[in-house]
Amino acid sequence: MIAFQDVHKYYGDYHALRGITATIRAGEFFSLLGPSGCGKTTLLRTIAGFEGISSGAVMIDGKNMAGVPANKRPTNMVFQSYAIFPHLTVAENVGFGLRRAGLSKDEMAKRVGDALEMVGLAGYGARAAHALSGGQRQRVALARALILKPKVLLLDEPLSALDKKMREQMQVELIRLQRQVGITFILVTHDQEEALVMSDRIAVMFEGEIAQLADPETLYRRPSSRRVADFIGTMNFLPAKILSEAGGKIEVEAEGFGRATVEADQAPGAASGDGAAVGFRPETLTILFEGQQATDREATAVIEEVVYFGDMTYYDVRLDGAKTSTRISMRNVFGRPVLEIGAKTRISWSPGALVLFR
Amino acid sequence: MKGGWFKVYALAYLLFLYAPIIILPMFAFNDATVIAFPLSGFSTRWFDEMMQAPALRIALKNSLIIAVSAAVISTTLGIFAARATTRYRFPAKAGIMGLIMLPLVLPEIIVAVSLLVVLLGLGVNLSIFTVILGHVLICTPFTIAILSSAFQSLDQSLEEAAYDLGESGPSTFRLIILPLVMPGIISSLLISFTISLDEFIIAFFLAGTEPTLPVYIFSQFRFPSSVPVIMALGTVLVCLSILLLTIAEYFRRRGIAKSGGKDTGGFL
Repeated sequence: MIAFQDVHKYYGDYHALRGITATIRAGEFFSLLGPSGCGKTTLLRTIAGFEGISSGAVMIDGKNMAGVPANKRPTNMVFQSYAIFPHLTVAENVGFGLRRAGLSKDEMAKRVGDALEMVGLAGYGARAAHALSGGQRQRVALARALILKPKVLLLDEPLSALDKKMREQMQVELIRLQRQVGITFILVTHDQEEALVMSDRIAVMFEGEIAQLADPETLYRRPSSRRVADFIGTMNFLPAKILSEAGGKIEVEAEGFGRATVEADQAPGAASGDGAAVGFRPETLTILFEGQQATDREATAVIEEVVYFGDMTYYDVRLDGAKTSTRISMRNVFGRPVLEIGAKTRISWSPGALVLFR
Repeated sequence: MKGGWFKVYALAYLLFLYAPIIILPMFAFNDATVIAFPLSGFSTRWFDEMMQAPALRIALKNSLIIAVSAAVISTTLGIFAARATTRYRFPAKAGIMGLIMLPLVLPEIIVAVSLLVVLLGLGVNLSIFTVILGHVLICTPFTIAILSSAFQSLDQSLEEAAYDLGESGPSTFRLIILPLVMPGIISSLLISFTISLDEFIIAFFLAGTEPTLPVYIFSQFRFPSSVPVIMALGTVLVCLSILLLTIAEYFRRRGIAKSGGKDTGGFL
């Protein structure tokens, strides 16, 4: 559908995109995720045609887009500022792209009405665009882009200006809308949670390069580098030493855990003795309360910090033998006390939880 | 009394500013040739005389032609320059803009004299057109200043959105940019019109045998008998200025309301 072939982009001396090669499939909800300045917006704008590229190729449907201007590309964009034309009504905004289609007045009104209904703004057509709330502007921007039935809808941080509740509501609506229209959506976001919730696949970008391209679950459970792991959710790291590697199993000696076995597919990159680390998500470790038996392996620890969230409690614990503390998240169960700082406790984990980084 | 002296100061300031202007209509409607108190009775004969002075009508016509042309030309140039400075990067941008804005601080007498020397050297006959030329030169910095702020407050993604939705460059300009900067264009037109209308030095040097209104007024002050007519003319001009300012302010506020912005400042 969309293919980047070794795309480079320079702004003067600044190397903004460093050899992007990736394919986005037709009909998928694809996210470009990364911290600000990683090049994700630049990459999106190369699809729209607002940015030229220095070398490489951007292909849409097998066609090289070099030299095709933005107004001739089968893409439409929802801007971060929404870019609603303030001097026009809602209906005029939504119907803007149809001006050149030469439709009759009735046909135009019908299509605008349909588009507004699709985004839940039926009956808002006559309103002045500048009198809308943030969420409504967002919907107008969506209707305005989708009315042209583009092959690709580009969304540049569309939810960042909304408050938390509105954002969560729009996330769900965007997913529903994407399933309904079946158009490829490409979303730019710096919010990892948003990307995980909405996307079929995510490309994590750092410094103009794609660090990992995978579905949300793989990204969360098998991050390809410490940096990706750090960016997506919370991950604990403890230094480890690789002892042996054979038959798809790697033996490690990790701080706090002692000897542990890691499957080879949980260890991205090549093996090399020291300087390695095991990483694990807070929810993969369990505190064993009195009377509970360890299911897999067991270790002892001291509780250093307790953060109570109502449904969850976060414990920062120091595993015996570890130099740094580790965060564990525990679902609170009614009747079970929240542990106190300084308490000694037993920890259990499953070997599948550990990811090995070098 | 707290702040008493400030009130006195403010009142004195306003009096100094506006008392001379109040004198204008007083003597314009006064039934006497001599400008002095006490007033001797109501009369509109100075206005009748004003309407009948052919030289005045010619001067007024010249001034209007010059002011409208200068306003349109300098605003058009201002649009190009404002667009260029706010959207594009080019070499020596700061230097070029500095040179364009220079007439703003250059003494007008210097501009007038040097223009006169150059025009005479080129063998150009002095006329309305040479005055328009000079006025465009001094009005353009003002129009650029006004229009730059109008273009600057325009979100660039609005243009991109129009382009993205299939419009070409020129149609984007016509459909999106022009309507949104229109309040700026109107204030630019009005301000350059006003500057040109009451400009004296350049008009005096470059007008040749076609005097503008200010040049005509200056020449008439030599004759005491025509001073009341000038008072009548001044009264009309003050009323027109107030009208123009009100129109400008109306458009400015409407522009803000239309784009949903917040009112910050303005003339009135």
